Amino acid sequence: MKFKRVAVLLLFITGVSLSTDRIVLKKPPRSLDRYYPPVSKKFEFLSNMHTMSTAFTGIRLNVNDGNWEKALFWAKELKKTYLKTSRMVPEWKDYFKPSLAENLVKAVGSRNVDRVIDATKKLGKTCAKCHQDNQMAVKLLYHFPSFEKVSIEDPVEFMELKTGDYMKKLADSLKALKVYLIQGESEKAQESGLNFVERARQLRSMCSKCHTNKLSEEVIVGKDFEKSLSRMEELLSAGKPKKDEVFKLLNSVGMSCAKCHNVHLVPAVVREAFGK
Amino acid sequence: MIPLLLLALFMAGCDKLGSVFVEEDLLQRPPAKRCSDCHTQIYREWKESRHFHAWISKEFRLESENHTKTKCLSCHAPHQVDPGKKPVLRAEFREDGVSCVACHFKEESRTMHGPLRVWSPPHPSRQDLSYTKSKFCAGCHQETFREWKLAKVDRSCQSCHMPSLGKRRLIQKFPFYFFHRPKPRNSHRFPSLRAMQEDIKVELKGNKLMITNVGVPHNLPTADQGDPRLYLIAKVSYRDGRKRTVRKLLSAQSKTSLRYNVPYELRLPAGEIRSVDLTVLRKLSWKKGKETLLKLTLRTPSP
Ligand code: HEC
Ligand code: HEC
Ligand code: HEC
Ligand code: HEC
Ligand code: HEC
Ligand code: HEC
Ligand code: HEC
Ligand code: HEC
Repeated sequence: MKFKRVAVLLLFITGVSLSTDRIVLKKPPRSLDRYYPPVSKKFEFLSNMHTMSTAFTGIRLNVNDGNWEKALFWAKELKKTYLKTSRMVPEWKDYFKPSLAENLVKAVGSRNVDRVIDATKKLGKTCAKCHQDNQMAVKLLYHFPSFEKVSIEDPVEFMELKTGDYMKKLADSLKALKVYLIQGESEKAQESGLNFVERARQLRSMCSKCHTNKLSEEVIVGKDFEKSLSRMEELLSAGKPKKDEVFKLLNSVGMSCAKCHNVHLVPAVVREAFGK
Repeated sequence: MIPLLLLALFMAGCDKLGSVFVEEDLLQRPPAKRCSDCHTQIYREWKESRHFHAWISKEFRLESENHTKTKCLSCHAPHQVDPGKKPVLRAEFREDGVSCVACHFKEESRTMHGPLRVWSPPHPSRQDLSYTKSKFCAGCHQETFREWKLAKVDRSCQSCHMPSLGKRRLIQKFPFYFFHRPKPRNSHRFPSLRAMQEDIKVELKGNKLMITNVGVPHNLPTADQGDPRLYLIAKVSYRDGRKRTVRKLLSAQSKTSLRYNVPYELRLPAGEIRSVDLTVLRKLSWKKGKETLLKLTLRTPSP
């Protein structure tokens, strides 16, 4: 009986993703930088999270086993890490309630299961509150590599551009191609079209800045992508391009753009919005 | 000292001799600097090579997010190099990059492996002919090795990128070098080299320039994780006096490199061409500037 209650309650408080009708993305304070790459290689903040989470499990297992001494050890461990963590990011100080951590140690010390459950629940709420406000943003900001630092050389103008600027140029030549095709201006369509093809080809050169497995590249900008681009190049070079066929090829090229955006765009945009 | 050494020489056949002069720390994965106590010249060459820079390179530090992207690290600070195998990350002296110990010391035999048969009292050595084969480089230069195999040539990576320096002494430490005769030496500068005019064949066929890499038996440029580039700039003059410039950026990462013996077609805008001035530049991964590989003028014969 006791066993069940503890298990269920602890499940409740360690489950990080409470269901909610909104996800908040608040810019995390700069002081968090100290605990993440490139400043630190040790992920100190995250590592404390794992320690606390493990300590919770330690308490639960040992209370269930009736091993109160060991449970007390984990409770103290939890308190120690909780206090340490509360000093790491000054802006987040108020999320922590040190008295509740002390309360849990006392509850375990009293060997009273109901008190433990109550203390656990209260402390757990402080974890959940902060997670709701901050966890998502931190994940996106600190665990996803930055596209801002990735530069890519424009094959038309021989200039190094940031990812966002490159994408604009790429999209501009794409839109120009469409406009001129629709207007039936072959020569202009040819020029912007060939620029678009070159720029689209060059996209692949950025992947190796983050990926070491060529398979990751292949699924998005692999043989099919190159085949469509080559065919487009042929059509455009041949003078009067066949409009319908070019549009069909653009659709298949566009699938690659979309696939890549699906995987990378959201974190990149969040990072950029936060100016990181 | 000298008499002792002479005595040692005298006893060259003796089995125990090996252990008398062994300097134990050499088998405990010392930093590369330690090897320079004897292999001074080789050390100096290696210090100028990109292998020495592999870990401390600014660009690498940036892209690996200050050495925190774990999947990036193993080839830049390898524990042990075995032919055709991707290495694992070394624990110590990572700032040495691709180091002497990583390439020459084998845990299994606890000896220095190398291409020669030598007598090396300070540390046991073993002749291992895999050091002269391209496959030795293949665990890290995976893409380049694949391209090289497709080229089906006899010359190894080493024959071009570790060019022979003729016969020289392997060690410079006094007085020990008197006991070792000069031996075949290969440059540990691992030069990046540069394609010559004759390595790139260019033909003007109607409105196309056919450009073929006929001399470098891998893609030009080639890369695994680096991002070297080739720039083609063709200034075209037409019979009617018009002039147009066509530019192309070829890069290893975008798979647009010049493949060995496969012609690359550069289309020129329509019109009757009088002449084309072609310039080919390259940029190595780790260098800021561009260098000229080729500059030539092609003319269409008068009709
Ligand atoms: C002041 C804010 C804050 C408080 C309080 C807090 N956390 Fe966290 N926690 C975070 C953030 C931010 C992350 C995301 C970190 C990351 O992904 O690098 C996180 C992530 C986690 C994770 C997931 C780790 C992973 O690998 O994704 C666990 C588990 C966790 N916290 C446990 C706890 C526990 C248990 C407590 C309470 C005892 C707690 N946290 C209190 C901010 C907080
Ligand atoms: C700024 C770094 C960065 C760049 C540049 C980048 N990616 Fe990614 N990509 C990631 C990260 C991080 C993930 C998440 C999975 C992981 O950690 O490997 C990912 C995931 C993926 C995935 C799904 C998981 C996998 O590895 O198969 C694919 C496919 C992919 N990327 C393809 C590409 C392609 C194609 C390019 C180049 C056009 C590219 N990426 C450029 C960082 C990057
Ligand atoms: C790496 C995979 C990748 C591929 C392939 C890719 N994109 Fe993008 N794209 C991105 C990322 C990342 C961003 C966000 C960049 C930023 O804002 O920093 C982006 C942003 C954009 C934007 C918004 C630019 C802005 O800031 O306003 C456009 C438009 C765009 N891409 C068009 C395209 C088109 C068209 C293609 C295909 C021909 C394409 N992209 C292929 C990753 C990719
Ligand atoms: C343990 C992995 C590893 C092995 C084995 C290895 N290399 Fe390298 N090599 C590298 C790395 C990493 C770099 C890039 C270093 C840098 O510039 O940061 C490099 C760079 C080079 C360069 C310079 C490339 C440039 O961009 O200018 C040449 C040439 C080269 N290696 C040749 C060889 C040859 C020849 C062999 C075989 C005898 C070999 N390497 C074996 C990892 C390795
Ligand atoms: C399989 C081995 C291997 C792995 C893994 C590897 N590299 Fe390299 N890296 C090389 C080799 C070999 C070179 C030499 C140039 C070339 O052939 O591309 C190199 C060169 C480079 C260069 C250009 C030289 C310089 O110092 O500027 C950069 C930058 C680089 N690597 C970054 C990375 C990053 C970032 C990762 C992880 C995403 C990575 N490497 C993972 C083998 C590797
Ligand atoms: C105290 C002097 C000394 C030091 C220090 C030393 N070596 Fe040697 N090494 C020698 C001598 C002597 C030879 C044989 C020279 C000869 O025969 O001409 C040799 C030969 C070699 C060979 C050639 C093996 C072959 O079969 O081709 C390699 C490889 C080698 N050493 C690697 C190393 C490495 C790596 C280090 C640093 C960890 C190192 N050595 C440090 C004295 C030294
Ligand atoms: C990237 C791997 C690599 C690194 C790093 C490296 N070597 Fe070598 N070394 C080789 C290869 C391959 C050969 C054989 C070349 C051949 O015979 O074609 C060789 C040959 C030698 C030889 C035999 C003489 C010669 O010049 O061929 C000695 C001695 C030697 N290395 C010592 C060293 C020392 C000392 C260092 C560090 C300062 C070092 N090596 C760094 C790969 C490496
Ligand atoms: C016939 C001589 C020759 C052989 C054999 C050869 N290379 Fe090269 N390699 C060159 C030349 C020349 C260049 C310079 C190309 C240029 O101008 O950029 C080069 C460039 C390179 C580069 C620098 C990147 C670049 O493209 O500029 C690397 C890395 C490299 N080679 C690795 C290897 C490896 C690994 C092997 C064996 C699998 C090998 N090479 C075999 C001649 C050779």
